[in-house]
This record gives sequence, C-alpha cells and structure tokens, in this order.
Amino acid sequence: MTRLTRAIALAALSVVAMASRAATLASASASAPAVDAVKVVRERLKLSPVLKGEFEQAKTIKGFKNALVSRGEFLVARGQGVWWHTRDPFESTLVVTRTRVFARNPDGSTSNLADAQAEPGVRQVNELIFSLLAADLDALSYKFTVAAQPVGSAGWSLVLTPRDPAIGKFLVRATLAGERDVQSVRIEEARGDTTQIRFTRQQPAAALAADEAARFQ
Amino acid sequence: MSLTDASRPERRLPWRVAAWAWLAFCLVVAVHQFSFWRTTHFDTDVLALLPQDEQSPEVGIAARQLAGQVTRQVVVMVGAPDWASAQKAADAWEQGALAAHAPLQRSALAGADSLRDTLAFYAPYRDRLLTPAQRAQLEHAAPASLVQGALAALAQPGGGFRLADWNADPLALWPQWWLARASDTRARPRDGRLALADGGLEWVVLLQETTGAAFSMSGDAPVSTALDKGRAAALAAVPGARVLAGGVPLFAEHAAARAKLEVSTIGWGSVAGVLVLVFLAFRSLWPRLLMAVSLLVGVAMALSVTAWVFGHVHLLTTVFGASLVGCAEDYGLYYFASRQGAPGVPPLKLMGALLPGLALALLTSVLGYVALGLPPFPGLRQMALFSVVGIVGAFVTTVVWFPWIDRGAVRATRFSAWIVQGYERWPRFRATRGAWLVHAAVLGACAIGIAHLKVDDDLRQLQGSPKALLETQREIGRLLGLAAPSQFFVVRGASADEVLQREEALKARLDWRIANGELAGYRALSDWVPSRARQAADAALTRRVEDGVIAGVDQVLGEAQQRAPFDAAPLTLQAWLASPASTAGRALWLGAVPRRDDGSAFASVVMLRGVRDLAALPGIATSADGLPGVRWVDQVQSVSALLGRYRQTMGLLLVAGHVAVLLALAWRYGRRAWRAWLPTAVATVATLALLALAGQPLQLFNVLALALLLGIGIDYGIFLLEREDGGAGAAWLSVVLGAASTWLSFGLLALSSTPALHSFGLTLLFGLFIVGISAPLYRQPAGRTPVPTPITDPRK
Repeated sequence: MTRLTRAIALAALSVVAMASRAATLASASASAPAVDAVKVVRERLKLSPVLKGEFEQAKTIKGFKNALVSRGEFLVARGQGVWWHTRDPFESTLVVTRTRVFARNPDGSTSNLADAQAEPGVRQVNELIFSLLAADLDALSYKFTVAAQPVGSAGWSLVLTPRDPAIGKFLVRATLAGERDVQSVRIEEARGDTTQIRFTRQQPAAALAADEAARFQ
Repeated sequence: MSLTDASRPERRLPWRVAAWAWLAFCLVVAVHQFSFWRTTHFDTDVLALLPQDEQSPEVGIAARQLAGQVTRQVVVMVGAPDWASAQKAADAWEQGALAAHAPLQRSALAGADSLRDTLAFYAPYRDRLLTPAQRAQLEHAAPASLVQGALAALAQPGGGFRLADWNADPLALWPQWWLARASDTRARPRDGRLALADGGLEWVVLLQETTGAAFSMSGDAPVSTALDKGRAAALAAVPGARVLAGGVPLFAEHAAARAKLEVSTIGWGSVAGVLVLVFLAFRSLWPRLLMAVSLLVGVAMALSVTAWVFGHVHLLTTVFGASLVGCAEDYGLYYFASRQGAPGVPPLKLMGALLPGLALALLTSVLGYVALGLPPFPGLRQMALFSVVGIVGAFVTTVVWFPWIDRGAVRATRFSAWIVQGYERWPRFRATRGAWLVHAAVLGACAIGIAHLKVDDDLRQLQGSPKALLETQREIGRLLGLAAPSQFFVVRGASADEVLQREEALKARLDWRIANGELAGYRALSDWVPSRARQAADAALTRRVEDGVIAGVDQVLGEAQQRAPFDAAPLTLQAWLASPASTAGRALWLGAVPRRDDGSAFASVVMLRGVRDLAALPGIATSADGLPGVRWVDQVQSVSALLGRYRQTMGLLLVAGHVAVLLALAWRYGRRAWRAWLPTAVATVATLALLALAGQPLQLFNVLALALLLGIGIDYGIFLLEREDGGAGAAWLSVVLGAASTWLSFGLLALSSTPALHSFGLTLLFGLFIVGISAPLYRQPAGRTPVPTPITDPRK
C-alpha cells in the first residue's frame, strides 16, 4: 500500500496548494468564528445569502521589488460560488463553484482551472470554501485553530492557524477583521509571501439577480 | 496366471530387504512431515497456478511484481451521506477492528517531511517535467497571451500557492504536473485521512496491512473476523453507513478456510468411506489397519515430496490431493480381496502372483496422473506429482509390507459374499441382436449429447472466490480509480533510457485513446522520469517560453526578475530509484530482464486506468503494434487461450492414450484385451454426453479428468481380466470396493467450490460410475471360463 499511499500523499501537494488558495478566496469574502469570543464575533457579523462589493488587494511576493496591487469587484453567493473580477491593472475573472474553478476570458468563454471530475480534491477544497461562507465553526475548527478577538464595540478579528502540518508547510496563518462584514483579510504564506485584501462598498442581498446567477455557469 | 499355479519361488530375502528399506524411507518422510506441519504455510495465490510465459520472462516478472505490491494490503472504505458521519463511522470501525486484536495495522501515510523531500528531489529538474497538455500549450500559445496569463495569476487572490519561487515556475506548471501524478488514485488527503466523494456518499479510505506470516491451514480467519467487528461497530455508530473491504489477504484467508473445509470433507469423507467398506468386506482387524497405513504413507509421502520439489504446497493441491485417498486404496483392496478368495495361498506367494497385474494397474493410473501434468500449469503439475507420489507410496506399502504383516485368514463377510455372488448374476454382453440394438441406442444418445456439448475456456474456472468478495473488490477498484492488474503493456529496451523512449512512443498513442474516451489514463515510469531526449526537449521549451514570460512580466511591472537556474544534468532513473521519491512508481520498473536477440535487457510496465469496457481492450492492445519492444499483455485472455489450446492437445492425447492402452492390453491379453478397454471407452463417451446434458461446458479440466478416468478405469478391467480364470469373484470384490471408494472421493471433490476441481470431480463421478456398471458386462462368456475359485465363508 505504500506506493498508493505515496501517490495519494503526493496528490496532497497540489490539493494543499489549492486548498490554501481557496481558503484565501473564501476568507476574503466571508467570515468566521472561536469560543466565547467566537460567540461575540458571530453576533457582530451579519451573514447574508448574497454579498457583493469591491476589493483592493496588495500582494508581496518573494523576488518582486514592488507589491502587486489589484482592484475589482466580487460577488459571493452562499452554497453557489464566488465570482472574483479584477479590473485593474488588467481585466481577469475567476469563478469558484461547488465542482470547479474556472477563469472567464474577456471574450466570455471559460477555461477550466480545475474540476472535480478530473481532480477529486476540488470538491473538497470547494466544500471548505462553502463552510467558510456559511461561517460553519465546526467545519472550520476541523482545519484551523480559531482565535477570536472582539475589537472595540462593533469590531472583531479572527486568526486561523492550520491544524494539518502539511497545510502548515504552505500557510502560516490567515487573519480576518471586520464589523458587520469582513473588512480585511491577511494571508501569510510559509514561503514569505503575503496577501492583504480590503473590502469596501459591501452590499448584502437576499438572492442573486438573473445576470449574477449566470456568472457561475 | 491362476494363483494355485503360482510356481515362482518366494524370494524372501530381497522382499525382506525391500520391506526394511521402505520402513527407513517412511521414517525419513515422517521426520520431514513433523517439520512440515510445524513450519510450512500453504500457498493460496491463484497466480502460482498459472503458467509462466517462457518466451517472455518479463511478463511473469511483471505479474509477480504487480501482485507482490498488494499481498498484504487491505483496503477498507467507510461511506456515509456526509463527511462528519463518515468520519464517525470510520473512527468506530477502527475501534471495533482494533478490539479484535487481528494481525492488522494501519498503513502509514506519507508525512509532510517525505513530501518536502520528494519536492526537494524533483526541484532541480522542474524545467523538464511537463504533462502532454502543458507541452502542447507551451508549443502553441502566443507569447503575449502567456504573459497575460502570468499577470492575471499574480493579480488573483492568493495568487496560487506555488510549489517553487515565482522565477522558478512563473506559469505555475509544476502543481499541475503533480496533479497528473496524483491521478493514480481518486483518494485525497482530508483532515488527516484519505477521502473521496462518489455517488452522493463521502468515503473515508482506511488503508491497513496484515502483519505476521502468510496463511496457514489453521482454518480461522482473524482478518475477516476483525473486519466484521469493525463493520458492526461502524454500523452501530452510524446506521446506514456503507463499509467495503477488499484486498488479497481477504481472498487468501477465504481460500484457506474453504480449502481446510474441503480437505476435511473430501479427505476424511474418503477415509471414512474406505474404512467402512473394508470393515464390511473383511472381518479381520489387519485389513482395516493396513489399509489405513497405506493411505497414510501415500498421503504423507505425497505432501513431503511435493513440498520438497516445489518448495511449497498450494492449497488447491491439498484439496485435489484429498481425493487421492479414493485411488490409493485400490491396490490394498485388490490384495485383501484376493486373500479372501484364495485362503490357502501364503501371503507372499499370493503377492508374487498379483504383482504383474498390480504393476500394470499402477502404471495406467500413473500415466493418467502424468497426463494431468502435461500442460505447463504449475498448479496442475503439482497436483500430478502429488498424486503420482501418493499412489506409488500406497502401492509400494501394499506390495512390500502387506504380505509380511498380514497374518491369518482374511475371512469373508456376508457383505463380501453378497458382492461376489452379485458378479455371477450380472448380465453379460452377448452378440445378440437385442444387445447390438441397445448399444446402438446408447451410442446414438451419446452422439446427440456430445453434439450439444459447449466449450468454455474462461480463466475464471480457476477462481472460486465468492461473488460478493469479487464485487466489493471491483467496487473499491472503481471508487479509487486504480489501475487494472491483469492487462498492461511490457516495454523492453537495450538500456533504461531506451525503455523510457519506447514508453513515450506508446504513451503518445495512448493519449489519443484517452482523448477518444477509451480509457481514463495510464501509469508509466516515464511520467516520473522522462527519457533524456524528452527531458532535453522540454527543458529547452520551458527555457524559451519562461524567459519570454519573465521578460514580459518584468516589463509590465517594472521588475528585474531572472529565471532560476536548473540542474544541467538530466534526471536519471538510477538517482530516482535510489531516492524516496520513487516510492509511488517503483513497481513499474522491472529492471534487468533476460537479454533478447534484439539486445533488449531492461523492461518496464505501463498500466491502464479506467478502461471504458472490455470491448475497448482489443483497440487499446493494437497501440503496441509496430512499436519496437512494446508488448500487450492480457493475462486473462492469454491464460484462457492457453486453456483452450491445451484442451485440444489433451483431447488428442486422450485419444492416443486410449490407443496406447489398448495396445498394451493386447500385448498381455491378446484378443481379450478389448474386454478391459471397452468399459472405459464407453464411460468416456457417455460422460461427455452426460456433461452436455448437465449443461456443463467442456474445459481442459474435463479432458484431464477423462485422462485420469482412462488410468483408473482400465485398472478395473485389468483386475477382472487378470483373474478371469480363477478368482474373478475376488477381483470383482476389489473392483466394487475400489470403484466405490474412488467414486466417493471424486464425488466429494465435485462439491468443491473451485470450478475447476468441481468439473474434474463431476467428470470422474459420471465416468467411474459407468465404468463400474459396464466392466462386468464385457467379461468372458460364462462357458469359456473355468469355475471361479469358490470363496469360503467360514460361517457356512
């Protein structure tokens, strides 16, 4: 079995890479919890079925002198997917649904980056995203130790540290902060790279509009 | 030939020497038996029964290597509608199975450290590791669009957690390459476990391996017991959970337990049958005791010699060997029946007179069993050797010991007298019109029956595994997306690098079949270590493309990145094999194999995953056509073809055997020879017809059984003909007893759940019965035989 095990374990590499990336995506747009403080955070955080808004992201990557800054808009529909549209410095769209991850090209066509049919790990990763979207404390605390901290009268912060050392090899921690909504996310990678995302102009909604739903197809 | 005429001198001295020598030999066997039962473990691997391909030894090496990987592995899958319940059920399973204290342990999953080591091993060669899709993309994509893609990836959230620094893999090619390597299985790590989702169920995959030695014949099944306990615990924790368990140890354990049961049923059933018959037919103690001794010596010797020659004894051999009891006792029965029929003759003198007939009978039986060993199936050869040694052992015991030990009169019983009298009343064949008509009718019926006989050479006859176990195994294979173990390509080459190059030529053709939906993928060594040429070409390709991408990104972002350097020397198979990075694919490398005329001396295996259906196989097989050193291996198909070929060959040999036996009989009995031969010939034809009527397809094993029928059935004809002019009643008694016990043994063998043994037993069950009833039918007309020696019943 060792060979099979090894093959499976090797698969973990890619899955881990994707999982952390997906976790980033998800945490970027959702929320999360911890014990007593978790309760407080939960009360302060108002989840809605659909959330849209704008983002500004700054990444520092080893080897790059300057931070990479991008801006755009996002749409999160619980249980359905995440739509991440970068407008500046150039146009690109990334969509995550329950079963696949794809890029929407400027001409409207899509190119698959991963799908559950070909890579079974995708389903798992996307489930993680959805548990993050649902602020599912039980599911989250499987994968992360969650440290919650109320901030001021309406704010909060959450620090998520991976439990699995295999994931820990890639992701050091994710820090989320906000009030009613998530306002900022900071990802620290073991490689030294960091990503800082700020969300603005968030608008909750009860359901997706027809044109918005089409973005996940 | 009459006993009372036996005038040859009693050569007591040589006989005495032979008796002592035999005792010494038996002691040696006894010592060997003592150690055998203490240490030997029986072979349960069905592969061990299959023939080796002598033309291509690498096929055998491949089959053994692929099978060897999994001999200890037990895969358990616990499924539930949601992940939390699946985990709960899996925890319960582990607790339950652990409590059973089975020789089972959890297989270690590769830890984070070994992952890091594997990454570190491959990192210097990242530039020359591409999937076919990546290669095509890099060759054809416009440089500008690649730069755009790289910029987009940098802008995306998280940016993709890379496995290398950006300047060492700007297009993030490496994670995808690893993803392709991971497609060997559909299971993925999840929360420290292996998991997969399928058909609305979340599955936890529990990998276990057996500890301790291979399976003995003790009859208990500790692994299955533990798995059952685990299953019960899982179901108690999560009602409605699904638990699948598969793996070679389960099959082996099941085979061992079943073989134990069958050996007991057939062996002890036969022994009991023989002893009851002897008890009924001979009043004294000695016959019973001596018969038991001859059987014991025969079986012990058969086991010892088989273990000595083959190094191990296969379970199926012991099952088949258990039926030996029914054959080995014929000689002793013949002797005691003759003693009973000729009470005045001293034992030694009697044995001297019986010896020629006994020897001829032994010879025909031995030839029958040797025929069993003619096809190049190691399993059949083992059974043949076992049987030949067994009957020779019983024969020699009878000949050299019985006359010495057997003292006093062998008194007749009411039962034996009844049988002897029955012989006199048995109808005889006379050349009347009625008799010819009856024969013509029987022959016609047989012809109609045989015309309906179907032929089936499917390999699965060898496999008696329960359907449920096979189905579970198939489901596990499907869920995990494992490669098929019995159909694969073997690739040969003069050097390791040539093997890799030839693999790449084959893979190019298979990629086309994958695109066509005929299969899901393959496992090949050259995926882990590409050939030097491929490495050089891919390294040049990535250098050209990535230099362009880095320059383009630098320009847009105002950076000054340089592409990271890679190792100038290629990744070698040798280095890979020596590193822990090769664990996943090492079994695909067969290494040095016997050199061929074309100079090829190394070989590897390319395995297939997710073959669409059996109909796709012939097309996939043609991928090897015209590629030097590449060969398609379908073990199921090739063994089935071999079974068919040998069914035909052995059929012809059977006909030749009948002719040879008839000639040998003619040499000793002249014009009367047909009387000894015809019962077996009739039985052979009638058995074929009966098999057809019973809906049994004709297989190699039926033909082999018919060859054995020739060997055993002729004995009865010989015994009757031998004593025709005196003591035919006694000979008949031995034939009836011998046939009854042989019949019982093979009848019990027909109960075996191994299809091959079942059809073997069934054929002999039919055949021996017909020989038994027809042998006295063709005896000499009454008028031409002297009055048989009267059997004296002391009670009269």
